[in-house]
Amino acid sequence: MPKLSQKKCQWNVQPATKEYSAQLPSHPNPRNLQYPPKQTPVEELYRRYKDPHEEMIMAEGMSRLCTDLDVDPQDIVMLVMSWHMKAATMCEFSKQEFFNGLKALKIDSIEKFRSALPSMRSELKDKDKFKEVYNFTFDWAKEKGQKSLQLDTAIGMWQLLFAEMTPKWPYVDQWCEFLEERHKLAIPKDTWNQLLDFVRNVDPSLSNFDEERAWPCLVDDFVDYLKEKGLVQTT
Amino acid sequence: MSAQKKRNFQIEAFKHRVVVDPKYAEKTWTILEHAIREIYNHNASGLSFEELYRNAYNMVLHKFGEKLYSGLVRTMTYHLMEISKSIEAAQGELFLEELNRKWAEHNKALQMIRDILMYMDRTFIPSTHKTPVHELGLNLWRDVVIHSSKTQSRLLDTLLELVLRERNGDVINRGLMRNIIKMLMDLGSYVYQEDFEKHFLEVSADFYRCESQEFIESCDCGNYLKKAERRLNEEMERVSHYLDAKSEAKITSVVEKEMIESHMNRLVHMESSGLVNMLVDDKYEDLGRMYNLFRRVQNGLVIVRDVMTAYIRDTGKHLVTDPERLRDPVDFVQRLLDMKDKYDKIISLAFNNDKTFQNALNSSFEYFINLNARSPEFISLFVDDKLRKGLRGVSEEDVEVVLDKVMMLFRYLQEKDVFEKYYKQHLAKRLLSGKTVSDDAERSLIVKLKTECGYQFTSKLEGMFTDMKTSQDTMHGFYTAVGPQLGDSPTLTVQVLTTGSWPTQPSVTCNLPAEIMWVCEKFKSYYLGTHTGRRLSWQTNMGTADLKTTFGKGQKHELNVSTYQMCVLMLFNNADQLTYKEIEQATDIPATELKRCLQSLACVKGKNVLRKEPMSKDIVEDDTFFFNDKFTSKFFKVKIGTVVAQRESEPENLETRQRVEEDRKPQIEAAIVRIMKSRRVLDHNNIVAEVTKQLQARFLPNPVVIKKRIESLIEREFLERDKTDRKLYRYLA
Repeated sequence: MPKLSQKKCQWNVQPATKEYSAQLPSHPNPRNLQYPPKQTPVEELYRRYKDPHEEMIMAEGMSRLCTDLDVDPQDIVMLVMSWHMKAATMCEFSKQEFFNGLKALKIDSIEKFRSALPSMRSELKDKDKFKEVYNFTFDWAKEKGQKSLQLDTAIGMWQLLFAEMTPKWPYVDQWCEFLEERHKLAIPKDTWNQLLDFVRNVDPSLSNFDEERAWPCLVDDFVDYLKEKGLVQTT
Repeated sequence: MSAQKKRNFQIEAFKHRVVVDPKYAEKTWTILEHAIREIYNHNASGLSFEELYRNAYNMVLHKFGEKLYSGLVRTMTYHLMEISKSIEAAQGELFLEELNRKWAEHNKALQMIRDILMYMDRTFIPSTHKTPVHELGLNLWRDVVIHSSKTQSRLLDTLLELVLRERNGDVINRGLMRNIIKMLMDLGSYVYQEDFEKHFLEVSADFYRCESQEFIESCDCGNYLKKAERRLNEEMERVSHYLDAKSEAKITSVVEKEMIESHMNRLVHMESSGLVNMLVDDKYEDLGRMYNLFRRVQNGLVIVRDVMTAYIRDTGKHLVTDPERLRDPVDFVQRLLDMKDKYDKIISLAFNNDKTFQNALNSSFEYFINLNARSPEFISLFVDDKLRKGLRGVSEEDVEVVLDKVMMLFRYLQEKDVFEKYYKQHLAKRLLSGKTVSDDAERSLIVKLKTECGYQFTSKLEGMFTDMKTSQDTMHGFYTAVGPQLGDSPTLTVQVLTTGSWPTQPSVTCNLPAEIMWVCEKFKSYYLGTHTGRRLSWQTNMGTADLKTTFGKGQKHELNVSTYQMCVLMLFNNADQLTYKEIEQATDIPATELKRCLQSLACVKGKNVLRKEPMSKDIVEDDTFFFNDKFTSKFFKVKIGTVVAQRESEPENLETRQRVEEDRKPQIEAAIVRIMKSRRVLDHNNIVAEVTKQLQARFLPNPVVIKKRIESLIEREFLERDKTDRKLYRYLA
């Protein structure tokens, strides 16, 4: 801490302040706006994409990010990324989410980001991770303040997710058709979660579909729909 | 004299001279043998019992018991062989008589012999474990006489032939039979069974097998059963007269098997005379007979009950699904009651009030009554009819009888909540139109419903009665307070209904005539003056009015009409003719209601106070209406009102159904929450079961609806699904 040596400067203020300044540490005063602060790489990245008015990366920034990453915004890897970021809503990242996400992924440059994408994509092959991403998708894709997921968003998400899943679920298209034709309402969370269970555990010929096992009503209706339309596969 | 020495006297045993006469035994035996012969020759009178006894006694004493015994065996055998020959020689009818006589003689002889040889019987025989004399005598009789090759089969054949003759209607010598059978019994139950009973049962089985086959081909069910019953009684009588009592169960079992069990199905299902025909024709005697006979046989009653149940279910099903029957709800219900009465009577008179039959009847009724979704509505309409007119002038006890019968039908309903809805509607109409026959009867039924279903079921209904009473008091207060101000205005009677208790009505528009409006407003301000914070809305679709009307030639009538009709008719005070459109505009009554109203005023014979042009049956927008000056009626008071409960049209029915379904949702949810709150964690199937159990007093919840409610509760975060076991639900506090 510099000392104001009045004594040395014989109670003369001007030389005293000069000496005071001379004694200050050499790195710039944060209040001094003349020199922009040196940012961390992550901060730099953030700055590049963030919305000018909000402390968030919003639609426009996201689109730029995708371009820089050389990836289609509809690519499922964006979903995986959002999952890592624990993003609350699709198509935007809060500052916190972005920072925490990149930290967790150990990314601090666009190149590292780009090269992390394939491994992110392959994470979906892991059954447990897929389930986590799947379950995450519901809250992420739904509108803020709503309890249920809009039907067309849900259909879009399902199509996206099931395209990645192996073994493929043969009824994806029928499921989407059924929803559009018969259901026409938003999807509750419980039904969303239970569907993955259904897809994974009930075989295409529906031979092990047990009505007693408390599947959601929507699933029961879907099974009836398949039977009614003669769409049940007989493998 | 010398002093006598005292000597101890010894009394020595009187000794016989020991006779070691080897011939002694022989001699003694000869005496006895002779005696036995004499006994068998009926010459016992010349014998000295004492001497013979002494001889036998001596033999045993001197260790000649063996000789005595073997001699006895020999002698008796010899005599019995003679007897056997004489029996064998007997011809025809005399065979049994001879046997009988000889048997009696043998018994007498045996007794004498036994008496003579009693000492041996009591000492020698036990110590040597030989057969006692009496038993020996029986055994020898059995072996020598009965089991002689000729006699054995002849005896059996004779006995069986006699039984057959008797079965065929002949009279036989029962006393003789009894004695012979008793003889066999005395010889040992083994003998009786092997030598007679076993064969008797076999032969009887064959006999009845044949006979039953013959009967079943030639008789109708009722007559067959009569014959079976007769045969059964016959056999029992036979046993009591000349067979061993223990045979009764066995022979009746044979008859039951051959005559009943083998032909059960054929009898029950016999065309034109089987069980169903008996039921239809109320043949109590035949049914009773069938019940008594079939209950003896395993599964006999099961068949009867099953056939009866199937028939009742079938008839019931036809009754409730017959479109003809569905037109008249009161008749429909009456037929159900008649059917129940019929079968109650049958079960009571013919089936011994058998509980299993009662249960079968109840479950059948429960089954088919619920096949028709409108049963609850119809039962309510039946009650309505009775309480409006059917029970007029009926005694109190008879009223109770009818109401109890209604309750009985009510219990069978699965959808009791639907009944409640209709009952409320119909009760409302009865109360408001003042058309109930007896207040006591109404209240009595409410009490019965309360006992059956609990307080909740009837609290609103009771509220309706309270409202009626309160309204009376209110009217009284109104006229006391405001009466003088009202002058000549129409006399108003208001029933103030508490919204929650009465069936909900959609509010409708209706422009009341000015003079009515005026007095209504007076009432409203009076009421609201004494009851602050309440809101009144006039239910114009539920009111009635009495109009004093004068027609063309001066004929006066008092018309009893609905509020709507009144509004329409009052318009004609100021106009002689009006078009439909004008009426519609003036009254503002909704179209369907208005059309119905106009139809009842213009198109019904005897009640056409209005005239319509054109004269078609239906009301269309272009119609014009005229006050019918030429109206006539025999009666001064003419009823044209339409506020009577009637069976709903299809669309109304659908609407009520929907409302009932809506009402059920919160009840199901409440049940789920109640259950989960206490159990905390429960799996799906158990929740469904518990919910069903809790609600079954009111209705049968649909498992799919329950599942939907659970999902809704999950969404609203009352419950959550377990993370690992999808079937398990957890209560979230």
